[in-house]
Amino acid sequence: MSAQNAIRRPSHWPVTIFCLIWLLITVFPIYWIFVTSLKSPLAVNGGPTYLPWVDFTPTLDAWKAAFSGDRGDFFGPLTNSVLISVTSAIVALVIGSMAAYALVRFEFRVKLLAAVSFAVIAIGGYVALVHGLGLGKITGLGLSFILAMPTALILNTRNLPGPVLGNGDVVFWFVSQRMFPPIVSAFALYLIYAEMGKVGVPLLDSFVGLVLSYTAFSLPIVIWLMRDFFAALPVEVEEAALVDNVSRLRIFFQIVVPMSWPGLIATFMITLSFVWNEFLNALLLTTSQWQTLPVWLTGQNSYRGDEWWAIAVAAVISITPMIVVAAALSRFMRSGLSAGAIR
Amino acid sequence: MFDRAKYAFILPAFLVVLIIGLFPLIYSLTISFMQVRLVPPIPPSFVGFANYIDALSQPRFWSSVRVTFLIAGLAVAVQYALGLALALALNSSLPLGRVYRAAFLFPLLMAPIAVAFIGKMIFHPGVGPMRDLFGLFGYIDPPFQTDPVWATGMLVTIEVWQWTSLVVIILLAGLQSLPRDVYEAAELENATRWQQFWGITFPMLLPISAAVVFLRFVESLKLIDTVFVLTGGGPGIATETLTLYTYQEGFKKFNLGYTSAISFLFLILIVIFGTVYVALIKPQLEKRT
Repeated sequence: MSAQNAIRRPSHWPVTIFCLIWLLITVFPIYWIFVTSLKSPLAVNGGPTYLPWVDFTPTLDAWKAAFSGDRGDFFGPLTNSVLISVTSAIVALVIGSMAAYALVRFEFRVKLLAAVSFAVIAIGGYVALVHGLGLGKITGLGLSFILAMPTALILNTRNLPGPVLGNGDVVFWFVSQRMFPPIVSAFALYLIYAEMGKVGVPLLDSFVGLVLSYTAFSLPIVIWLMRDFFAALPVEVEEAALVDNVSRLRIFFQIVVPMSWPGLIATFMITLSFVWNEFLNALLLTTSQWQTLPVWLTGQNSYRGDEWWAIAVAAVISITPMIVVAAALSRFMRSGLSAGAIR
Repeated sequence: MFDRAKYAFILPAFLVVLIIGLFPLIYSLTISFMQVRLVPPIPPSFVGFANYIDALSQPRFWSSVRVTFLIAGLAVAVQYALGLALALALNSSLPLGRVYRAAFLFPLLMAPIAVAFIGKMIFHPGVGPMRDLFGLFGYIDPPFQTDPVWATGMLVTIEVWQWTSLVVIILLAGLQSLPRDVYEAAELENATRWQQFWGITFPMLLPISAAVVFLRFVESLKLIDTVFVLTGGGPGIATETLTLYTYQEGFKKFNLGYTSAISFLFLILIVIFGTVYVALIKPQLEKRT
């Protein structure tokens, strides 16, 4: 008798009922907004009603109102969300999977002292330049970075004492960015963007500013997921190509990428969903022109009050792309994505 | 030549994370030691640890710490218990297994802000179905918005609704990787299924459980979307989380130095929690192996 048989043997019914109840709980709220989007204001405000044609008459009024533009500019935020999430997901996927590939196939050795000296020069240089010499904040940050980066690189080639960090530590450095509470980095980013605006580079409420922040925000996940996919690829093909003197970049784009389409697509969709759903960054970094759907939704709610039928339409539109993504992803899950993602 | 290729591969990602992720933090760290106010505008001045001391002496700061850890703790405890039960149930062959897998992904991929609005509709005192449900059990008009306990319960429920599926998916993957021969041996010894669970399944799932609880807890500490939409931190400050408190200080009062200081205190709290958690869980994991 197999293990699974031992677990599954008796008491089948209570288990099935328990699972069905949870399925119902999971699906009901989704059903509820679909139904609410078909209600008239009168049907909503009269108290809870559940079944179309039974306890209320469905109408498409809320949908018509949303698409006719009566409720302010609805397509603006929708287009913003699409443009921003697709661009950030693509940029993060390209540079993130390149980094993940490098972390799988090459060996990195970062001397701890070099990394520490980088941090000390960058922070100390900034404080000295801005608060000592009175330079502008952005100039100070830029200069201290230009000072710190080469110094650390040169130090790294020297024979320094102390521990040496390997690939695992580099991956940890990337992934640990995700552990930061987003309010810490989002607020810091808001401050920097405001400063950049003062020196003539407007990043607040701009496409570039948001895409940059979302790329940085998604990179840890891309690197984490793609590293597992690349590590599972056979190395022989690449070695054969190397013998033939094919450049590393061509190997990556012409051999490795075509072999990893399933992983790349799955990672792209996960990243897309993160950016599409993100609220806090967008709330802090946009004011009007580049508002994304989640921010627009909250704005409408506080501005117009609880017009549930209209909110339901907007919510349905904002989750529909994710339902498509969920359907596609559930096919990938069989190929062990979930097992890879938790490590 | 080899070396140059490897730096070319990693440099773009490294620079983006460094410039967008870390450099603002340096700036915000220096700000946290200064008094910077936009309203009323006063010239920034160095104040040392004053912002930090100020925050640590604010009851409102500690209240938000308590609320954050309470909601995260309750939500993760329920998610884990429920998630484990569901994973065990789904691991046995169940009709509609594939339907479950697809249905479980929906909540995970929905925008927390959309979930918050759906929650607001469902828990609405006048038009929400929760009113009917509680009415069935004799609670007329439960005070979801006005009573601290009910409001916290509502936020925890929504958090559980959205994230239990993630626990299920991860634990299910863990369950499917358990070796079968151990169970066969237990069968021969006539171990009951209850004994098998506590003697085999639970201990062998411990590493993955520790990971998923940690992951969910740290994510839950960042809670803002549902609180922002559903209660706005109310009644009073009874459901104000740390992220919401930081946001309020920064964008209602524009006290930038103080806001930076609380955001770094938040970071320190997460690091302390992580260190304590790993220190507590590590001996447990080593004992078992």
